[in-house]
Amino acid sequence: MTFLTPTRRLFLGGALSTAGAALFAPPRARAQDAVALQLSWLHSVQFGGSYIAQDKGYWRDAGLEVSLLPGGPNAPVEPPVVAGTALVGISAADYTAAAVNQGAPFRIIGVAMQKNPFAIASLPANPVNSPADLVGKKLGMALANTPVLEALCTVNGVDIDQIEVVPTQYDAAPLVQGQVDCLLCWATDLPVAMEIQGVESVTMLLADHGYAVHSQTYIATEDSLANRRDQLVALMRGEVMGWQDYHADPEEAAALTVDMFPDAGLDLATQKLQAERQVPLMFSELTETEGFGWFTDETVAANVETLRLLGKPVSSDLWDRSILEEVHG
Amino acid sequence: MKPGRGALSGSPEAEIFGALRRGVGVALVLLLWELLARATVGSYIIAAPSEITRHMLGHADLLGRALATTLGSAARGFLWGNLAGALLALAAVLMPRGERLLSTLALLVFCLPLVATGPILRVLYGPGSGPQVTLAAMAVYYTTFLPVLVGLRAAPQGWFDLVRSYGRGPVTVLREVRLPAALPYLVAGLQIAAPAAFLGAMVGEFTGAERGLGVLTVRALRALDLPATWSIAVIAAGVSMLAFAAVGALGRRLDLAPPEVLLAPPVARGRRPWANLAEAGLATAVTLLLWKGSMELFGLPRFFAKRPEDVWGYLVAAPGADAHRARLLGALGETLAMAVPGYLAGLLLGAGLAMALTLRPRLSGAVIPLSIALRSIPIVATAPLVVWALGREATGTIAVVALMIFFPTLIACQHGLARTPRAVLDLFAVYAASPLRRLLDAQLPAMLPALFASARMAIPAAILAVTTAEWLATGRGIGALMATVASTSDYGMLWSAIALIGLAAVLAHALVAALERRVLARTSPEQLAR
Repeated sequence: MTFLTPTRRLFLGGALSTAGAALFAPPRARAQDAVALQLSWLHSVQFGGSYIAQDKGYWRDAGLEVSLLPGGPNAPVEPPVVAGTALVGISAADYTAAAVNQGAPFRIIGVAMQKNPFAIASLPANPVNSPADLVGKKLGMALANTPVLEALCTVNGVDIDQIEVVPTQYDAAPLVQGQVDCLLCWATDLPVAMEIQGVESVTMLLADHGYAVHSQTYIATEDSLANRRDQLVALMRGEVMGWQDYHADPEEAAALTVDMFPDAGLDLATQKLQAERQVPLMFSELTETEGFGWFTDETVAANVETLRLLGKPVSSDLWDRSILEEVHG
Repeated sequence: MKPGRGALSGSPEAEIFGALRRGVGVALVLLLWELLARATVGSYIIAAPSEITRHMLGHADLLGRALATTLGSAARGFLWGNLAGALLALAAVLMPRGERLLSTLALLVFCLPLVATGPILRVLYGPGSGPQVTLAAMAVYYTTFLPVLVGLRAAPQGWFDLVRSYGRGPVTVLREVRLPAALPYLVAGLQIAAPAAFLGAMVGEFTGAERGLGVLTVRALRALDLPATWSIAVIAAGVSMLAFAAVGALGRRLDLAPPEVLLAPPVARGRRPWANLAEAGLATAVTLLLWKGSMELFGLPRFFAKRPEDVWGYLVAAPGADAHRARLLGALGETLAMAVPGYLAGLLLGAGLAMALTLRPRLSGAVIPLSIALRSIPIVATAPLVVWALGREATGTIAVVALMIFFPTLIACQHGLARTPRAVLDLFAVYAASPLRRLLDAQLPAMLPALFASARMAIPAAILAVTTAEWLATGRGIGALMATVASTSDYGMLWSAIALIGLAAVLAHALVAALERRVLARTSPEQLAR
C-alpha cells in the first residue's frame, strides 16, 4: 500500500500544476461561455451534426463551450430547458406544443427534421403502403403516440376504430414475432435495426400522408431569446455548420459518432444506415435555398393545422425565426 | 442459515459427489436453454448461451467498462441507501412516538415513480452519476428500514428489564440488546438490497446517462440485438448473485445464533380512535410541508414540479377537475384490479417457497439464483419475455407483480424462519416431531414478523411492478396514464397520480399494519411493545 502514501503531495502537485497551466496558458480570444444542449435521446448519429460542430471546434471558435447532454427513456427534454440547465433542447413540434399548452415558455428556433420521421413499418408479406391499408390490422405502438395515429386517420379519412391498437414497447420484436402486423415508429431506427438483423421491412412515412409536424426542433425559452441571444446565435451557427458538413458526408458523421462515444455501444453499420436514412428527412429544396434548420410561414401553417388535429392548438407565434435569420443573414 | 441442527456436512467424497451433481445440473439447464433458443430463433425472444458467450467475448471491453460504471453507482447507492434505512429504523425505535410518521414518510418517498424523480434528479444533479446513485439508494433504503426495525425489537423483554435493573439507560439497551438483535435482520435487508441497488443504478441510467449497462440495455432492446440484451441480463444477474452470496457469507461469518425464546408481555389492546386520527393528520401535514418545502428549497420550476396546491387545483378546484378526477380514478381502478391479486400471489409464493425450502433445503440451490436473477434484471428487459409467455392480458400483469414481490418475501421469510428460538427447536427434536409439524408449530410463528415486514415492503414493490407492466405491455391503468401524461408535459396529472398512489399505498400499509397487530399480539408481542 506504499503507493497510497504520497497522495496528498501528488494531489497538491497536480492542483498546483493545473493552476499553473491555467495561469500561463495563452489567453483565449474570448472567455468561453459554458452552455448545454439537451439531446432528445441517447447518443447516436441522430445528432451527428452536433458532434461535428463539437469535433471541429465550431462552437469553441465562437466562444461557446457546449456540453451535449444525452437523453433517455426517462429524460424528457422540456424540464432541463425550463429549469435553465440546458440553453437549448431538441424536441419536436408536437411535444413542444403540449408543453406550451401546459404553460412552458418555449419558442421553436430551428427545425432539423423538415419531414416528420414517424412511419408505419410492416413486413413485405403483409404490407402497409397507404393509410387505408391500416384497416383491420393490428398496430403496435406506444400509447403515448395515440394522438399521432388519430391525426393520421383524420387527415386520410380512415376509421380509427377499425385498427386494433396493441400497446408495445419501443422495439421491433412484436412485429417480427407476429404479435402485430405493423408498428408505429421512426423510419430511422426500428426499420434500420430490422435491416441490420436481416429482416426486410416496408415503411410508410406519415409525412407523405399529410402528417406535417416538424421534428427534432430546437427549443429555447422566451427568457433566453430575450437575454441570451448571442449564445443562441453562436450555438445555432455551430449546429448549422455541423449539419452542413454532415450533409456532405453522412458516413463520416457516423464514423465520428462511433469514435466519440465508445461507451454507447454503437454499431458502425447501423449508424451509417441511420445516417443515410435521415438525410432526406433533414435536407430539402427549402434547406438547399435557405439553409439548414429553416422554416417558412407555409410550413408553419401546415404544422399549426396538424397540431390542431392532434388536440394541441398553438398559434404560429410558437415559431421564432429571428435566430436563424441572424445565423444565415 | 440452518440453526439448531447438528452439522450435516458430509465426508469429502460426498462433497465431490455433490459438486458433480450440481455441475451436471447446470450443464443440463444450459443445454435445454440452448435448444429452446434454437427452436424459437425466428421469434427473437431467447438468446442461446452460445450466442451470449460469443457476444460477451466480442464486446468484453465495452461490457467491462459499462459494468464498472454501473457497479460504481450501485455500490455508492447501496452504501447510502442502507445507511439511511438503518438510521431511519434506529430513529423509529428511539422515538417510538414518531415511528408511524417516519414509516409513512419512508413509504411515500419509496413510492415516487421514476417518471417524476428522473427529470427532477437530472435537473438537480446535472450530468454525471448523481441521479443513478440516488435512485440506487432509493431502491434499497425501504427494504432495509423494515427488517432492521423488526430486528431492533426482536429481543426478549427480560433483557430490557435486566439492563434497567442494573440502572443503565437506553444507550446500553441499544448497544447490548437491540443492535445485536438487529444484526441478522440487517443481513437480510442487505441481501435484498444487493440486486435492488444494481437494478436501481441501471434504471437510473435511463434518466440521461452517458454510459453504463442501463444505457446499453436500451440500445440493445431497440436494435433487436438479442445476444446483447441477454448478455447484459446475465451480467446483471451474475453480479447480483455474487453480491447476495457475499453478504450472506459475511452474515454467516458473524455467526448469528438464533435468539433465546422471545417472551414479552401481551400488549394493551387498541388505541383510542382520536389518537389515530391525530397521527394521520400530523402525517398529512408533515408530508405536504416536506413536499412543498423541498420543491421551493431547490427552486424547482412549477412547470414540472407541481406543488400540493397545484394538485388540489387540478383535482378539485380548477375547471375540468371533474374530468381529471374521473380519468384518474378510472385508471386507479384498473390498476388495483391487477395489483391486488399479484400482491397476494407474490406474498403467498414467497412465504410458501421459504417454507418449502426449510423442508427441502436442497432446492434452494436452484430457487435462490433464479429468484435473484428475476429481481436484478430490469423489468424493461424481462417484460417482453413475460408478455411473450403469458400475453398482454391480466395473467401477464399479475405474474409480473407476483415476480417482483416474491423475492424479497422469500428472503425475509427465510431469515425469519431461521430466527426460530433454539430452545423451541430442541424441544421439538426431543419429541421427535416431524419436520412438517416443526415448521407449522415452531418455525411459522417465528416467521410471522418477517412475513409482515415483507407484506409492508411488497406494497410499494407491487405498485412499481404493476405500473411498469401497464406502461410496457397492457397500456391500461395508472402506469400507462403516467407514461402518457409525462410525455405530453401534463405534469398536473402526473403529480395527481403520484399523490393518489401515495395515498393508496399509505391506506394499504395501514391495513397490513392493523392485521399485523392482531396476529403479532398473539405470536410476537415483543414487536408491538412501545
